[in-house]
Order: sequence, then structure tokens, then C-alpha cells
Amino acid sequence: MKLVLDNLTKEFGDFTAVDHINLSMTNGVYGLLGVNGAGKTTLMRMLCTLLKPTSGNIYCNGKDIFKMDSQYRNLLGYLPQDFGFYPEFTVKDYLFYISTIKGIRPVVAKKRTNELIKKVGLTKVANKKLKKLSGGMKRRAGIAQAMLNNPKILILDEPTAGLDPNERIRFRNLISELSEERMVLLSTHIVSDVEYIANEILLMKEGTIVNEGTLEEIINSMPEKVWNCLVPQSMVSTLTEKYKVSNMKAYHHEVELRIISAEKPCETAVYAPPTLEDVFLYYFGEKVGDENGEI
Amino acid sequence: MVRFEIKKIFSKTVNKIALIILAVVVCVESHLAISSVLYVDENGDTITGIFAAQPLREAKMQWSGYITEDILSKVVEENALINNSEEYLSNDVKENNKAFSKKQGFSDIRNIINRAFCGFRQYDYYRIDSISGDEVRSFYERRISNLIEWINSDEATNHFSDKEKLFLTGQYNKLETPLYYEYFGGWDALLEKASAIIMLLVLITGFLVSGIFSDEIQLKADSIFFSTRLGRTKAVSAKIGAGFIIISSIYWITILLYSGIVLTVLGFEGADCAIQIGSSNWKSFYNITYFQDYLLTVFGGYIGSLFILTLSMFVSAKTRSSVLAVTIPFILIFIPSFLSGISALSEVLGLLPDQLLQMCKSVQLFNTYQIGNKVVGAVPIILVAYLILYCILVPVLYRVYKKTEVK
Repeated sequence: MKLVLDNLTKEFGDFTAVDHINLSMTNGVYGLLGVNGAGKTTLMRMLCTLLKPTSGNIYCNGKDIFKMDSQYRNLLGYLPQDFGFYPEFTVKDYLFYISTIKGIRPVVAKKRTNELIKKVGLTKVANKKLKKLSGGMKRRAGIAQAMLNNPKILILDEPTAGLDPNERIRFRNLISELSEERMVLLSTHIVSDVEYIANEILLMKEGTIVNEGTLEEIINSMPEKVWNCLVPQSMVSTLTEKYKVSNMKAYHHEVELRIISAEKPCETAVYAPPTLEDVFLYYFGEKVGDENGEI
Repeated sequence: MVRFEIKKIFSKTVNKIALIILAVVVCVESHLAISSVLYVDENGDTITGIFAAQPLREAKMQWSGYITEDILSKVVEENALINNSEEYLSNDVKENNKAFSKKQGFSDIRNIINRAFCGFRQYDYYRIDSISGDEVRSFYERRISNLIEWINSDEATNHFSDKEKLFLTGQYNKLETPLYYEYFGGWDALLEKASAIIMLLVLITGFLVSGIFSDEIQLKADSIFFSTRLGRTKAVSAKIGAGFIIISSIYWITILLYSGIVLTVLGFEGADCAIQIGSSNWKSFYNITYFQDYLLTVFGGYIGSLFILTLSMFVSAKTRSSVLAVTIPFILIFIPSFLSGISALSEVLGLLPDQLLQMCKSVQLFNTYQIGNKVVGAVPIILVAYLILYCILVPVLYRVYKKTEVK
């Protein structure tokens, strides 16, 4: 399975949401990381044929996905960010209905629904109406519907948004489990989600992919260094105005800062190994006083 | 797939309420139609509804047969005889009612005699009292001469072309006379309330179908819907199919239930009588029977419902708003009523889809249209035109929803 994005662009009037993206994806988990408004959802909607690009193409194994039409959507599983559902449907009804519009034969649909209900841990609430489920349970029903047709391409838009830490970990593990032998594109602005499960990370900013690679490659490609420094309270404002600060921890009279900078920011600064969070901050973060901050 | 679409519709509380309202409407309208039947017994007491139907039917059935010149003279004579009776001349209302009781059997024939001997646009309930037995023999000629007088009058002469005038006269001449009469109270009462029930049906069904397309978007379920294999093909057809099934089943269940109740109580007789034996249809240029009028009314209503409600579904798909969609039936039904006072618009108004919902009223109107050399009434035009428009609207609706983008 190979998905190629060729010069993909989407404009809404004067605003360019996705700006000439060129990308190639095969099996594995891709983490699409970017702040809100970076264009992640627009990109995913084009990948799901929900939006037509203004220019450029998306090819699946060499064929234009909009020309493949239902043949392409047969390979697709999608969990959108704002996961809408039919409030009066039970979990089972909902999954049966989605199976039907995915063109799955009733006998197979019944078997698959039962399997997935078990897999996502919704057995006890299978006959409950969707409107009565918690946010986490609804998300699990959402991932179950995406998996009904055993998709070769699984697209998950902010799947862990709004979930409590327990649910998020559970959900992350579930995605890892489901990612075998398929291409998973996971969009998020939660760094730890992609850090744990993505094989490849795509950093998206203002409609373009600014960096891509494995976790190690992304971290190593950061042109600046990370410094830990313990400074008096009085120096904090000077340093935060001058540098990007990824963490700040206050002690009695001093503050420990984690600073991203090419140069050593102060005498007491000690080099620290960078993390993905630092990289994220490097690309999307701001200094105090920046007018166009993104986080 | 269609089953799930129907399930989605009926799972909404507002739609359940709409169905309950519809059931209440059927009961109320059936009751109103039945209770509109009045019978005054020989003691001058008035009976209404179910208990009035049987004696009224028996009284009228005595006058069954062709309305020949002899029968017309007999009606005039009988009427004069009753008018000279003590009961009629009494100052006591109860006594007057006893006199009226004797006129009930021929009251329908009495009414059309009044129609024939008044001006075309007038009605005088007591006109028969001043007609002689000989004079009434010109009954059928009067119908035609009244029309000719009217279409050449200042009021109507510019409204009709020569061809249209010829067409109307021809239609009047084509009416088979003498008319056959028998009790037709069941059909009359049924058709009297049919328009109201069909219009209410359309308005209520509008609530059910207006969300079929827009709800996916409002519930934010559209992303998943359109990203599925059949989301832009069969699933869209299933929505249209669900709309069709709901419109058709609710329409026919309601209409057949209403017709069944009214006709069972008030009688099926009179189906083969020409509609002109009814006072309100006397001037109609459509030479049809009561049963044909009923068929026109229910099938016209069905085509009208399909068109208006599919248009509502189209607006739902296009605007993504069920609120806008639900207003479509209201606009199409009520706006023409407000404009009906403007005579300059009568030709246009005669072709609007609300006319399909009131075919039994449309056959009473003088809406004619000249297409090339041929003149036709509004009824066949709107039947064919809206059936064609419906057939065009369905694939357009399919294409519009199929191409929906999720923004």
C-alpha cells in the first residue's frame, strides 16, 4: 500500500490551508504533529475524499483516489476529530449501519461487529444508546467503526483529544495493536501520543510539512540545542524574551529553565538531550512577546 | 440500508410527535366529515353524524334515477307543495323544520336547480320557489347559456381567448344529460375535507423528511458517512428511498384510513354519478364522476406530496438546514393562498403545486391554458408537469448530495 501526495494544495478563498505538500506513505504509523490550525484536518479530509484539492493529486498505488472513488474508500477507515453519531442508535445498531454503508455483507458485518465490540471493550454497553456513553466509550465506538472493513489505510484525526490520561493510554495501545499491516495516519497536537506509537513523524505548520522522519531523525535534525539552567528569579524575564523555553520549574529563589538555543544561553547552562517536545517547541513555540505565537 | 435510514427518522422525538399529531388529525378530520352530515326528522329534530347518515341516505335514494325534465318538474311541484303546507307557513321554527324534513330527499336536485336558474356567479337558495314546472324544463340549456353569457361578459371576456371559450362551451355540451342522480353524501363529505387532510399530511410529513439529508451534517456524522465505500452512491439512494417510502406509506395509510372511515359510515353510493349533481361542482367543465374526482384528488395529492416533500429534501441536502427544508411545504401551501385575491395572478396560481393538494377544488375552477392550438384545463397540466418535475428532481437531489464536501 502506497499513498503519494503530489503537490497537494487546498485553498479556502484567500486562505491556504494545505500548501503544496509532497509526501509518500507506506505501511506503518505516521504521526502528524502540528498546532491547531496547521492544516492537519484539511489534509486528512482530502485523504478521505471528503474535500477535493484545489490543485495537486493523491495517488493510491499509482491511481488517483478521486477517480478510484468507492474502490479507494473500500480501503479506508476514518475517525474524524468531531466524531458525530446517531444518538438514538445502540452501539450495535450503529456498527451494523456503518457496516452496511461500507458495503459489508450482513453475515460478515455481524461477526465483525461482535469482534470489534469485544476488542474495544464495549461488550457491556453494546446494547446501550450512543447518547448514554461516556466520551471515551464513544471514541472506542468510533475506532470500531473505522476498523469494520479491516482498512488498509486508517486515518485518525485527534483520536485522543478530550480523553482522560487512562483512556488516552488505553486508546494509544489500541491504535498500536490495530496498526499491523496497514498504513495509519494519526493526527494530534499531543506530543506524547506520536512519541509512543508513530514510526514516522510529520511536523505540519501553516499548511506545509516542515520536517519528517523517525523520532530519532526528527530529534537529531533539530538545528538548535537544549540547555538546562538554574537562574535567579530576576533573570527569567530576560531569558524568556530572548529564547524559546520548553519548561520552567520554580524553586525557592531560583528557577530551572529548559531553553532551546544554538548558543549557550547563560554561564550555568548545561547541555541536555533533546526530546520530541523540544522539537515541537522549536518549530511551533514562541518567545515571550512574540505576536504570532502558535501554541 | 433503507431500514436504518427509516430508523434514524423515527428515532427522533420530534418525528414521533409529528406522527401522533397526524393520527389525531385523521381522527378529527374523519369526525368533522361525518358530523357535517345533518338530517332533520319528521318531528323537526336535527340529527348529526353517524345517526343522520342512514335516514338521509334513505330519503335521498327515493330520488335515484335520471334527472329528466319530468323529474325536475316533479321537484319544483313538490317544493311548491311543501311551501304551501301549514308547517312551512308557520311562525314556529320547529314546524318549519318539519317542512324542511320533507325537502331533504330532493335537496341536492333543488340546489342544482337554484344554480341553473341564478346568474353564473350568483346563488339564491330560494330561486326554485319562483320557477314554474315548465320553466325548469330548460334546466340543462340554462347551464350552457349561463356559461356563454358569463364568458362573454365584461368580467370574463378578456380572461379567455376565443379558443378557450370554444373549449369551455364544448366541454359543457359534452356533459351527458340527463344526469343520473343517487345519494352521494359519502363522496361529497369525503372530498369536502380531503384537501385539508392532504395539506396537513404534507406539512406534518415535512417534519419527518426535512432532516434526512441535513441531519448527517448537523450531527457531524457526515465525515464518516461520506468516507465509506457506499457513502456517495447507494447510501445516498437509500436516503432518497427512505424519503419515498415514508412519504408514500404515510400518505396512503392516512388517505385510505380517512376514506375508509368516511365512506363506511356515510356510504359508497354515488361513485358513478357526474360531479355536476353536486351544487359546488355544478359549473365544473370537467366531465367526470365522483369516483374519478376522488381518484384525481388522491393521486393528485400524492404527486403533489412527492414533489413538495422531495423539494424539501433537496433544500435539506443543498442548504444543510432542516429548518429551511421544513419551511418549503409551508411556503408552497400558504403563499398561493395569500396571493389568490390578485386576479392577474390567477393563471400562474392555477399551476402551482398547492393545486395538486386540492384537486377536488381545482376541478371547480376555470383555469384553462392554450398550448399551441390546443386548450387544456389546469388539472391535466399540473398532474403531468409535476410528475415530470418530480422525476427530474430525484436524480438532481442524488447528484447534489453525492457531491457534498465536508468543510
